[in-house]
Amino acid sequence: MWKLLADAQKIKREYLFLVLVVSLSATLIGLKKALPQIPDSNSMDLYAVMMTSDPNKPVFIQSDWTNSTRGESRGHFQGLVRSLMATNRKFVFYSVADPQAPQVARDAIRTINQERKKQGLREYKPWDDYLDLGLFPNAENSLNAFSNSIKSAWGGRRAKDSTGRERPVFDSPVLQGVTKIEDCGAYYVVSASNSIDIAIERLGTKVTMGGLVTGVMGPGMLPYYRSGQLKGLTIGLVGVYDLEYMMEHGINTADEAGNIVVKNRTKPEQVIPPVPEGTTFGQGATNNLALHIALTLMILAIALGNVGMIAKKKLEGGTK
Amino acid sequence: MNLLAYQPTWWTLNPQDNGRYGVLVGVFIAGMVLFFALSKVPHSARRPIVVGVTFLAGLFWVLRYLWPEPIALRENELPNGFVEKTGQWLQTSVPFVSGIAQVVTSFLLGLGMFSLLRVHFTKITRKQKDWQFSVLLLVCMALMIAVGYADWLQREFWIKEKITDDTTTWTNVNVVFNILFEGLLQNMDAAMFSIIAFYIFSAAYRAFRIRSMEATLLMSSALIVMLSLMGAVTSGWNGTIDNMTGSNPANLLNNLKLNELAGWLRNMVQVPALQALEFGVGLGTLAMALRLWLGLERGGVTE
Repeated sequence: MWKLLADAQKIKREYLFLVLVVSLSATLIGLKKALPQIPDSNSMDLYAVMMTSDPNKPVFIQSDWTNSTRGESRGHFQGLVRSLMATNRKFVFYSVADPQAPQVARDAIRTINQERKKQGLREYKPWDDYLDLGLFPNAENSLNAFSNSIKSAWGGRRAKDSTGRERPVFDSPVLQGVTKIEDCGAYYVVSASNSIDIAIERLGTKVTMGGLVTGVMGPGMLPYYRSGQLKGLTIGLVGVYDLEYMMEHGINTADEAGNIVVKNRTKPEQVIPPVPEGTTFGQGATNNLALHIALTLMILAIALGNVGMIAKKKLEGGTK
Repeated sequence: MNLLAYQPTWWTLNPQDNGRYGVLVGVFIAGMVLFFALSKVPHSARRPIVVGVTFLAGLFWVLRYLWPEPIALRENELPNGFVEKTGQWLQTSVPFVSGIAQVVTSFLLGLGMFSLLRVHFTKITRKQKDWQFSVLLLVCMALMIAVGYADWLQREFWIKEKITDDTTTWTNVNVVFNILFEGLLQNMDAAMFSIIAFYIFSAAYRAFRIRSMEATLLMSSALIVMLSLMGAVTSGWNGTIDNMTGSNPANLLNNLKLNELAGWLRNMVQVPALQALEFGVGLGTLAMALRLWLGLERGGVTE
């Protein structure tokens, strides 16, 4: 018996890897299951900000993520953009961190537009519904300039209008009535780097800011959230699924059967509806299942290794 | 006259004017001449130039933060006195100075490419170990640049009216760029990062052992955090506790809910420890910034 258990710590690495690959691949072949979820309070606050910001004001998105964190950040970005499109909010996006960042954001928006087209929903048009401002190198200086005057910081940027003619971005319907950074409905930072710290330092007091960050960055962002500098925050893959879960169920909103799926116990009076149209469960739902499988395997592996170690000690001590 | 203050320029007022390309070329040539001149500066004169420029750049931002800012100055109203005039000058100069900083930062990309080309061409010409990978790297880089530029030129200039986000309007060049960027680069990047999962899994099995009290505490915390990340487990666990307490929020058992336990660990243990580390790093950064600003740091281009 002890010998058998002691052998549990001798499993070859290749077999472990095989189990991991096969288990996680199951989620890649279309196995998408909306598991139950209890969203974090910080995620609920972010969703509340997204759904209650002034729909007549454009939303600014500082999109600083790239491929390396797409497992989390693309889900965040897509959830955010889907919500904005579903609620007819105009938005502006740009990056202050990485030259690749604008392109991955463009690709993500294109995917959502194609998805909306298939669903028979209105496609979001560049210039009329959203603006792509590209890259602003050097986060410190760029965000300082935004804080000082977006009229001058963005004044030199041009975009193609609906006829294909290049025009200054402030001529776009998206930026009508915007003269300073405070004029945005909300400011979101999708980031995997310290560009969000800089955004909070430079703009935190001027705008309603929400953060969508990776799991590694989460603990570092919580003090900003608790101090009120971030009005909402989603963290990592769990945060992506939190967002999608609330897009589907809302907060303190009864479904057709009269059940309230997502309850905000600290703000029971707050009623935030689900998004009215489009996809809700996406990358978060798929990856959340993979996360469950990976964490279960991890816990099993740790348990197996420790049981083997204890059994070996027993054997070496002569105890049976 | 405020030379640094932002004014709407000919450039922003006439974005469609083809004359801007002439300006671009002119500025590029002037920049090259300046670079050439600076590269010919004797070594003994380089340090004062670098230290002087660094000090002036730092001084601007220090003054910007410390100098009183004119309050409630209406449009077209002139500032009064030295303090208010300087404050306004600093405020209106931010876009100009930021623009310079952005341009200088952009040069890093060129510097990186130059460095990459130098290292790998040297490796290829000297047939050093694994030189074939250098060839592959340079070919891939050239391909990406060529296709990327062709894609950009088509979208922005040549047939800009025809190409939209709809993939049916794309030309072969647009498709090839998409395959290279989204199809290959992104997936190879993701594949590289996914290797971490194998390392973590293997390490969890082989190294995460309860050998001491500290290790036991660490494992208990890790277990709670891992379980709390699994929404299905958390829902089931918390549901059980709700059944036991009759959903009474005042019951002490509520503290044993998974998200409460994980939240306590995160807020009371993890975040304070991280903040302490970051505070230390912040002090170090401040000290290093002061040394750089005041020209006390040795080495690099200042030597």
